[in-house]
Formats: sequence, structure tokens, C-alpha cells
Amino acid sequence: MGGISLNYLLRRLLVFFLTLWVAATLIFIIPRLAPGDPIAAMVARLSYQAGFVENADLIIEGWKERFGLNDPVYVQYLRFMTGLLGGDLGYSMARFPSTVTELVGRALPWTIGLVGISTFIFFVVGNLCGALLAWARTPRLVKVLIPMSMIFTSIPPLLAGLLLSYTFAFLLGWFPQTYSYGFGLTPGLTLEFIASVIHHGILPAMAIVIVTFGYWALGMRGMMVTIEGEDYMILAQAKGLKPFYVLYRYMIRNAILPQMTALAVSIGTLVNGVVLVEVIFNYNGMGTLIVTALREQDFGLIQGTSFILIVTSALAVLIIDLSYPLIDPRISLEGR
Amino acid sequence: MSQQLNPASLSQTAEGTSQPADFASRMEGERSRGKGRKDRVVLKVDNLRIHYATPQGDVIAVSDISFKLYEGETLGLVGESGCGKSTTAYGILQLVQPPGYIVNGSIEVDGTEVLDLEEEELRKFRWTGLSLIPQGAMNSLNPTMRVKDQIIDVIEAHEGKQSDKEALRERIFGLFQNVGLPNRIYNMYPHELSGGMKQRVCIAMGVALHPTAVIADEATSALDVVVQRIVAQTLIKVKDEIGVSLIVIGHDMGLLAQIVDRIAVMYAGKMVEIAPVENVYAQPLHPYTQLLIDSIPSIKERKPLKITEGITHDPRNPPSGCIFRLRCPFAWGHCAEVEPRQIMVEDLHEVACHLYDEQFHERRANALATIANS
Repeated sequence: MGGISLNYLLRRLLVFFLTLWVAATLIFIIPRLAPGDPIAAMVARLSYQAGFVENADLIIEGWKERFGLNDPVYVQYLRFMTGLLGGDLGYSMARFPSTVTELVGRALPWTIGLVGISTFIFFVVGNLCGALLAWARTPRLVKVLIPMSMIFTSIPPLLAGLLLSYTFAFLLGWFPQTYSYGFGLTPGLTLEFIASVIHHGILPAMAIVIVTFGYWALGMRGMMVTIEGEDYMILAQAKGLKPFYVLYRYMIRNAILPQMTALAVSIGTLVNGVVLVEVIFNYNGMGTLIVTALREQDFGLIQGTSFILIVTSALAVLIIDLSYPLIDPRISLEGR
Repeated sequence: MSQQLNPASLSQTAEGTSQPADFASRMEGERSRGKGRKDRVVLKVDNLRIHYATPQGDVIAVSDISFKLYEGETLGLVGESGCGKSTTAYGILQLVQPPGYIVNGSIEVDGTEVLDLEEEELRKFRWTGLSLIPQGAMNSLNPTMRVKDQIIDVIEAHEGKQSDKEALRERIFGLFQNVGLPNRIYNMYPHELSGGMKQRVCIAMGVALHPTAVIADEATSALDVVVQRIVAQTLIKVKDEIGVSLIVIGHDMGLLAQIVDRIAVMYAGKMVEIAPVENVYAQPLHPYTQLLIDSIPSIKERKPLKITEGITHDPRNPPSGCIFRLRCPFAWGHCAEVEPRQIMVEDLHEVACHLYDEQFHERRANALATIANS
């Protein structure tokens, strides 16, 4: 029988934490391999703005001491890792004394919401369109309209975002151009706030959906065509089952399985697209935070945001992976 | 068996009276297997013609075939691969997949013309009128549905939502018992069953609604010989218990000989001979049937395969007259000019060959003598 054994679950979790450890280590090493000194760069920027900074050397030395940059590398590494375990991602250098955890904590829910909802929409819409494209009983008109709606599929999300922003926010003014909720609103479970969030979220979500769903529709169509040739489809027809029942219980149910695998694989790519879309709409999520951090050479923040994105992606893949036996009875994740 | 298959046995009759009526008297009394009542026709196929559309023209897969299936009868449908056996079955079931289409014909099941049914009527007719035991049982079950759900869905599609789940379960257990399946597979998925078990599930499913007739499309060809035999026996047992008529499609003449009452032999989309099974093996009349029977491998001797002689024609452009004349050892001018009709040589025995036309009885005697001498 399908199911997940404890043994498998433990092994899969081990792999998950191993991924995180490797990611954390790389994130620790890479900035230290790069030339330049973040604190010197920051002081240089300060002196550029102020014209002159008194005791610049002392400031640099003091900050290096404060951030522990004078310690041997392994001490820094251990401190970094123990910090991570406690959820401490260090300080943002550009926005000291804000901690990275604080900044990420404020941005992450917005990104998870945006990615979650748009993923749900494009996965459902894409697969449904693909299924309808392949189904013999779909009206001809629908079969013509669906491919026409997929013209955005090959453009990058960045351009789709610009196009939507220009048309619906700038020209038509139907939707706001920036941010995730209206100014002057206090976040909370009020109707006004929720309406504002939805209003602000539609364009960024659409930008992701319109460039993505065509890809899923085409994949689904291919799977459906394969399923249509299966022996059990002939038997389903011979059994005189109702056509709609055959569509969802025999065709979509079997065609969706490889699509789920593809979804797990594509989550990393999806996050890339979201980062740029967030920047276009000045959406206060992780994408905007990362780009700000890069612009400000805020190493602590770059490390923190990258790490969190890796954690969430790995977590999403883990969830899809573990849910696989639930949707495909032939796969049982039993320890062998 | 080998004595029976020897064409020489045919010549003995031929040298005798050579009157078809004589076969009937010889066969009488031997037909103990025919448990069916040979008076009521449950399935009547008339001039069924099925084409496959291709860019180079239509391929004639089934060409104007006619036959009857009697109540309680088991009819075997045999022929080479590609001769149209399965297409005939799918045509009768209204399952011909594009680019195939039915050109003309009539299919009557219990007096209902199947080809005239509206879509929803046809859906309701399916499985209650004719059910299918499919060719590849391995892949004929939906891999993501439990065995029970696949039987329940066909019951509920035709009898409505079943409120009494306990009775439904008992009914399915009853079906399992009919085909010799253990109750524990009720909650299992198809991939957890063996090939033979899957085939039994298909049989149980096929008789679940007590259809008028069941069509078994090479139901045993993917199984090893031991399982083949068990499944074939199960098929016949269930058929007798439930009292349905059965069409068994196959190319294993040996297996069919043991389970069917009559055999219909097809060649290149044409029905060449329909006969009680004893006649087919003892007295094959059509030259093609003779070659087919002769090609059954024997344990006792190694013999050359005679059936490869001659050439096969282009299915888009069949030869004039008799379809088999290019490969037929007895063909003469007349065969190229006139298409043979089905000649009733005796009760339940029809053959489509000019040799059995009374006006050519001299040729028939010569032909049979040739066989005897070879």
C-alpha cells in the first residue's frame, strides 16, 4: 500500500537539512571569496556622502570587531551556524541596528502569499486549459481561445510585469502601481485591509500567471494525449461511464502526476521570476528586499535573504515530495 | 488431434457423397458442447463495413461482414493479425477510434439497432447490452483507482448512486467469487495484482451488469499458458453461470477449440467461414481455413508453414472478386470476376468460396483430391 514509512520520512528530512547545511556553508564562503571589504565599502560610501569621516580607520576597526570579522574563519563559521540554528541571521549592515531576521520576517509573508496564490492559479488554470485542449468533447471555440491566451508564455515575467503595470495601472488606473497594500492602512484582519491586499496583489500575480500557465497547459495537453491512448480509456468508454467522470477520474487524475513532479522541479525557477516581478511593482516582499540588499552591498542581508529563499524552496519541494504517495498509489515511499 | 487436423480426412468425405448435407448427419450427436439454445439470436451483424481513413485513401479493415450470435452461445473469431477481428469487435461495441469509422452496416442487439442510438442512449446501452473484456488486461485498469471503485463506477453509472454500501460490497464479493478472486483485493490497486488477477477483475467487471453478450478481445493472449487456461476456463464457467452469450477473439486455435461452440474465420476484413467448432477442425471448407488449421504447430512433426505462400494485397486496394485469390491454391478465372457470397453448406455452417457453389462441384472434387495427395 502507498504510504510513508517513518524510516523514509527521516531519511528525506536528513536530505532536507543536508541541503540547508550546504546552502548555508556556501552562503558563508562566497562573500568571503569576493574581493572588497563590506565595512570599508560602507565607510567609503559614508565619506563620499559626508565628504569626510572622522577616524574612519577606527570606525572600520570598531565595526570589524563588532561583527567579529577579525576572528579566525572557523570561529566566524561556527558563530554563523549557531546563529542560524537559533534563527539569528545577523545584522543588516546598511540598516543597522535592524536584524536580518526582522527584515525578512516582514517581507517573507508577502512573497509566500504572492508565490502561493499565483502558483495555485497557474497550476489549476494551466492544467485545466491543457486538459480541455486535449479532451475530445471540448467545444471548438474553447480550443481556439485557449491557445490565443497563451501568447505571453514565451516572454519573461519582467516584461509581462512592465506591460501589465503600464496598461492597467498607469494608463487605465484600475490597479495601484506599487506596494502590497494602500498607504495609511494598518495591517490587520479588517475587510478594508484585505480588500486592499487583493487589489494590490492582482497585477503582480497576473504577471506571474500569464507567463507561466501556457507552459503547464502544453505539458498537460501532452500528458492527456498519452493517457487518451491508454487501454483503460477504451474500457472506460466501453463501460458507458459519464463523459465528465471519465475526464476527471480517468484522464486528469492520471495526467496530473507528472505535472506535480514538474512543479517541484520548477519552484526554483519560479522564485527567480517572482524576484523581478516584485521589483517592478515595488512589492514589499523578498524580491525587493534582495535587490535592495544587492544595491546597498548589504552582505548580511544578502546572505539572510538568499538563505531564506533556499529554505522555503527546499521546504516546498519536500512537501510535494512527501505528498506524492498520496496522489499516486503506485509510489510508496517505504524505506528499503 | 493430428488425425483430425489432417486435410486427408477431408478427402474421405469428398470421395464419398461430397454432399454438404452429409456433414450434418456426421456431426449430429457430437455437438454436446453447445449449451446455448440455438433459436434466439441475441446479436445480429449485417454488412458491417469499417474503414480507417489515411492520407493515401481508406484502409478497408472490415468489409461487409455478417454473422449471428445465438443466446448462450460462445463464438470464436479467428484470423491473422490485422485481419480485422478486433476492429469488428470494436465496431460492434461502437468503440472504433478515429481515424476509423463505420461505413455501413447494421448491428442489432436484442432487437435494438445499436447504430441508431443517440449519445445518451448509447451510453446507457454500453455494458448492459454488450460488455468488453479487453485485450491488454495489464493496462486496462485505471492505475489510480482501487479495484472496487472501478467496479462500483460501472454499477453506479448504469444503476445510479448505490445507497446501500453493504449490499454493494456483497455484490462485488459475489462477482469476485464467480471468477475465483479473493475478497482481499477489494481495496487494492491494480499494480498490486498479478496479470491473471487483473484479467479476472476484467471478467468480473464485464459480467457485473449481466449484459446480453460479452466480447472477450484476446483476453488471454498476454498470459502464460497455465494462466491462459485458467482464465479461459473461468470465462466459460462465468458465462454459463450468468447465462450470457460470448464472443471470443483470438488467434490461438488450440485454446479456442476447447472453449467455443462455433468459429468464425476472418481473412483481410472478410468473413470466410463460420462453422461449428468440430467442423472447422475436421472439415475445414474454405481454402484459407484449411491452411490456417494446417499451420497449427504440431508436437509430432515439423512442417513447413504453408500460409506464407502467395502475397498479401494492399488493404486500400483489395483485389477484385475473392479477397483470398492471390494466396489461394485453387483460384481460377472466376474468382477474379465474382465475389463469393456466403454459402450455407449446412445448419450453422457458412463458407464464402466459389468451390462450394453447386455449379463448380467438379472443381471442388479436384481441389480436395489435390489436398489429399499433397
